[in-house]
Amino acid sequence: MLTKVLAATAVAIAVFTIIAGYTQRSALVLGEEKQRNYWSRRGTSLSGTYNENTTGTSGGVIWVPLPNRSSYGSFRGGGPSAGK
Amino acid sequence: MPVTIQTRHMGRFIDPWSYIALGAAGLVLLAFIVAQFFQKTLVSTTVSASEDEPAQLEAIQLSRQPIGALRIDVKALIPTNRWVTYEIQLFDQQGQVIASAIKEAWKESGTWYEEGESGSWSEEDTLGGLDVRAQKNEQVSIAVAVLEYGQISGQELDEPVQFKVTVQNGVVDTRYLLPGLIGAGSLALIAFMATPLSGKKAIAKTIRDSDPSGRGTAGGSDRLVRVKVDVKSDETSPRQLEVRLFINDAYGEQIYAHSLPMTLRYKKENGKVEEATGKVQAFFILEPRSSYGFHVEVMPDAPVDQTTLTVRDRTRTRQSVEVVQISPSPLDISENPQDQQT
Repeated sequence: MLTKVLAATAVAIAVFTIIAGYTQRSALVLGEEKQRNYWSRRGTSLSGTYNENTTGTSGGVIWVPLPNRSSYGSFRGGGPSAGK
Repeated sequence: MPVTIQTRHMGRFIDPWSYIALGAAGLVLLAFIVAQFFQKTLVSTTVSASEDEPAQLEAIQLSRQPIGALRIDVKALIPTNRWVTYEIQLFDQQGQVIASAIKEAWKESGTWYEEGESGSWSEEDTLGGLDVRAQKNEQVSIAVAVLEYGQISGQELDEPVQFKVTVQNGVVDTRYLLPGLIGAGSLALIAFMATPLSGKKAIAKTIRDSDPSGRGTAGGSDRLVRVKVDVKSDETSPRQLEVRLFINDAYGEQIYAHSLPMTLRYKKENGKVEEATGKVQAFFILEPRSSYGFHVEVMPDAPVDQTTLTVRDRTRTRQSVEVVQISPSPLDISENPQDQQT
């Protein structure tokens, strides 16, 4: 009984991780407003979001840079001497 | 009651579930290996970008695909003690930004002194990456832009920065596969360790002597009974002990007696033998299901400190094992060939 539960869990983990990896569920989906599964790679953060296009006539979504995008200016190196 | 005793090698009590768990882990490992065959490198180049002039790459045709994503990896090739904030940008055919991501990269080195010792260190975090997936067929072009560039000492620089850009398509996200492999693999390991402990304990008896016995309900035609004897003995024990196992039926009549060799493992402390431990196991199919008495005698008994007798009913095994099948003999004497001969 215990091994049955362990096996079922192992199969569930395997199926989920393989599907998640192969379908790239964490990638940025172009033109998709909701990026619930996005998982940044190598400390590279998105600098905008998709919003509904209210200005254009074509509709759809547009990439809107984050308002705090200018805050990158505070970065002055992240090494040991940066006091982190 | 006369009984027939047969010893056979049997695989029918192997627990398949632990092998299924192992197979799941194997599948993740396979997915890991196969993943690299799906990826195709589209661009691998070194570009130069400055704050005024982003580096533009050729347009790439993207399509909705079931496997993998477009992976853009950018490594800032900066000299030591510099930092750079750069942005990976994606443009559509109309030149509109459709996605962007920022990486704060740095590279530093220095020397350290501690308690009279010294050495140098060098660290960097310069590699940035973005994975994108298209929902429809579209053409995108990639650009790398420098937002700010400077020296660790504080001075800002207005120089071009070199970037190593690698663009691959069909890349599988292996960040899921490693935890998947560890997760499924450890569950398989637990399942394998749990298999010998499967079944219901019919007898569990520990005594500070060498001859435990117990009685319990066990057996049945399709049930495997596991009898395990654990022995702890002192430093005077020989390398090998003899374990005599007796099984009595419901009426107390002895139906089985067998001697098993037990090899001991010595536990040493500071090169001196402190204690020796050993175990033996035997498997039975006992017919019919009934109350059986199990009796163990360990020989020689003088060095034995503790003996544990465990009988598990309806147990499973990891691999095929030697099984002793004890069943009642047919009552009709004429069917017994030995009796006919006499």
